[in-house]
Amino acid sequence: MPRIRLEGIVKNFGDIKAANDLNLDIQDGEYLCLLGPTGAGKTTALRLISGLTKPDKGRIFFGDKPMNEVEPEDRKAVMLSQTYALFPQLTVAENILFGPDIKDLSEHDKEKTLNEMLEMVRLRKRPDAYPRELSGGMQQRTALARALASGAEVLLLDEPLRALDARLRISLRHELRDLAKSLGLTTLHVTHDQEEALVMADRIAVIRQGSIIQVGTPAEVFDNPASPFVANFVGQSNFFVGDVIQKREATEVQDDSGHSVLARPGGCKIGDRVVVAVKVGNTEISKEGEGFFEGTVERVLFEGRNLHVDLNVPNIGRYSSKIPSWRLGKLMPGDVVKIKWSADKARVFPMPEKGLVEELKVE
Amino acid sequence: MPQVELRNITMRFGKVVAADEVDLIIADGEYVTILGPSGCGKTTLIRIIAGILEPTQGEVLIGGKNMKGVPIEERDLGYVFQNIALFPHFTVQRNVTYGPMVKDRGKDEQRQTAQKYLELVKLLDKMQMFPSELCGGEQQKASLARALATDAKLLLLDEPLSALDARVRVDLRYELRRIVKRLGLTAVHVTHDQEEAMSVSDRIVVMRAGGIVESGTPQQLYTRPKDIFTSNFVGETNLLEGWVKERAEGRSVIELRDESTIVVEQCDFDEGDAVVVSVRPEFVFPFTDGLLSKIEYFTYMGTYWRVTAEAQSEDMVEFDVPAAEGKLYHPGQEIYLMINRKAAVVFPRPKEGIAEAVKLE
Repeated sequence: MPRIRLEGIVKNFGDIKAANDLNLDIQDGEYLCLLGPTGAGKTTALRLISGLTKPDKGRIFFGDKPMNEVEPEDRKAVMLSQTYALFPQLTVAENILFGPDIKDLSEHDKEKTLNEMLEMVRLRKRPDAYPRELSGGMQQRTALARALASGAEVLLLDEPLRALDARLRISLRHELRDLAKSLGLTTLHVTHDQEEALVMADRIAVIRQGSIIQVGTPAEVFDNPASPFVANFVGQSNFFVGDVIQKREATEVQDDSGHSVLARPGGCKIGDRVVVAVKVGNTEISKEGEGFFEGTVERVLFEGRNLHVDLNVPNIGRYSSKIPSWRLGKLMPGDVVKIKWSADKARVFPMPEKGLVEELKVE
Repeated sequence: MPQVELRNITMRFGKVVAADEVDLIIADGEYVTILGPSGCGKTTLIRIIAGILEPTQGEVLIGGKNMKGVPIEERDLGYVFQNIALFPHFTVQRNVTYGPMVKDRGKDEQRQTAQKYLELVKLLDKMQMFPSELCGGEQQKASLARALATDAKLLLLDEPLSALDARVRVDLRYELRRIVKRLGLTAVHVTHDQEEAMSVSDRIVVMRAGGIVESGTPQQLYTRPKDIFTSNFVGETNLLEGWVKERAEGRSVIELRDESTIVVEQCDFDEGDAVVVSVRPEFVFPFTDGLLSKIEYFTYMGTYWRVTAEAQSEDMVEFDVPAAEGKLYHPGQEIYLMINRKAAVVFPRPKEGIAEAVKLE
């Protein structure tokens, strides 16, 4: 299956820069999630690869072959949208055999392809069902079977789980990934759901305003975000703004009211104005012991595995923390707690040019 | 004050029974979420409360008054739709003052009301904009402000966050609860998202196939679900099939298919009964002894790794290890898994089979 490369792609729709020097490299057989907020250019990237949209500038390769001039139907790339686009008046079997490459096959070969596909997507018992008689998960598998029956090598998934219930979405994640991986397809999966990307991707590419801002494994993107935006978009973060006052085994940052915190060493100098980001799940709170500063518990929400605690920190603002739910009842609104984190869980960034609020916008 | 009471509500659409003799009381000031998969009847129920649908049978009481024949605009409630329903040619401010205006409130009062609620949803600086100039989360906040501006004490939220991006949804759900609680409203919120339900609710009502499965606080449903469907729907869980081998106060033994055993604290069934043990991934841990299992794969969840293993009993078991300890394990490795006996919940083995009993669609 082909490796896919996008080089310096520019695509404008009027004033909107849907692709703004977009570079992306998807390996042969890789499952890559393109993650970003609404309007970041995710769907445009998919359509550029499928050939449905032509770039204003830049080049697209499948393997070593330039694709800019290749028609969509000759790319062996298939796009699966949020709504699956099955023909409502055709059965599962008829939908699967609808693809252009299949019509010319002999009856025997058609039968064989159909059986292989039904087996693969676990629909052997339902070839005669109509789409409306199927569950959401089955409809999705039918659409996938149709795509694969037409010999696709590249799978382009546009928020494939969005139309499903939240709980079902979680249980279908592994199924969809395993299917794509077992067939060795090169897959680009577009999503706005960071947890979905973490769970499904070999690598995640974070996109914003038409450009890729970070590519890495789920662990790299979560633990080593490239910007405050990524830190907050992939798992919520707390932020601390101040000046670097010391650099030793950890970086010490102090704010205008005299609080100071520790973070991992980073590329900044003493005196620099910086932003420290730490994930809410790595923000520790306790009534006793030491802390960088104190906050007042505003509320405690039970979320199952974790408690979500909102804190009000004087002069700094609102912080959140996720702690194991066995601590329920040990923290009450109004309690004053110490807030801290281990230095290696916090990352330092230069102060964004347009300010932190603008940097963190998720829409 | 608005207590909402549903008495024996049934709703039929042709052959489909969307609500089947539902009884439910929502207390004044309570934030209740109706949670269930697509097609369970949750939207029908909230529409019946609103008066958009007239039930086939049964009664709706709001604040003790029977609502039969009372149209939506006279039920004194605010309603927020999934698909943001703002007037596109009105500014945000005019959208919010619409309710007070049709109620013939004075100009000053209209302005003050809009001001108050737009401030609450943090949209004061955008009140002169048109809906199309706002992003999705802001549009939904404006819809909320408009629903609140009716000054109704009952707020109905029909999948209010479903149309938004995942990240925006998370921020907004905390806001939603904060606002409802600050204003002391009674809220009924419909959703299929169990995480959202847990974050916003005082109480969750789990629905399936037109009926109520059970209701309880988020903590009750997560830690002590009464029904096997709830155990799987509200949070993820491991379901292990077996029989009660020994029953004793505070320490019962369940035998699994390969004759391995697990100990649970609470078991309400007799020796020999077929049961299913539900235990959440965070309450399973590697130990020197326990269920012999083979690790299949790992998933990075940010602050922890979720590990999927197959036990010798052929049950799939998921468990969590801290992010820093991920390196200690690898696929193919054989380990022993122990179950926190206090966290295990025992259900009777469903006649229709586990898969059918917990089916999500």
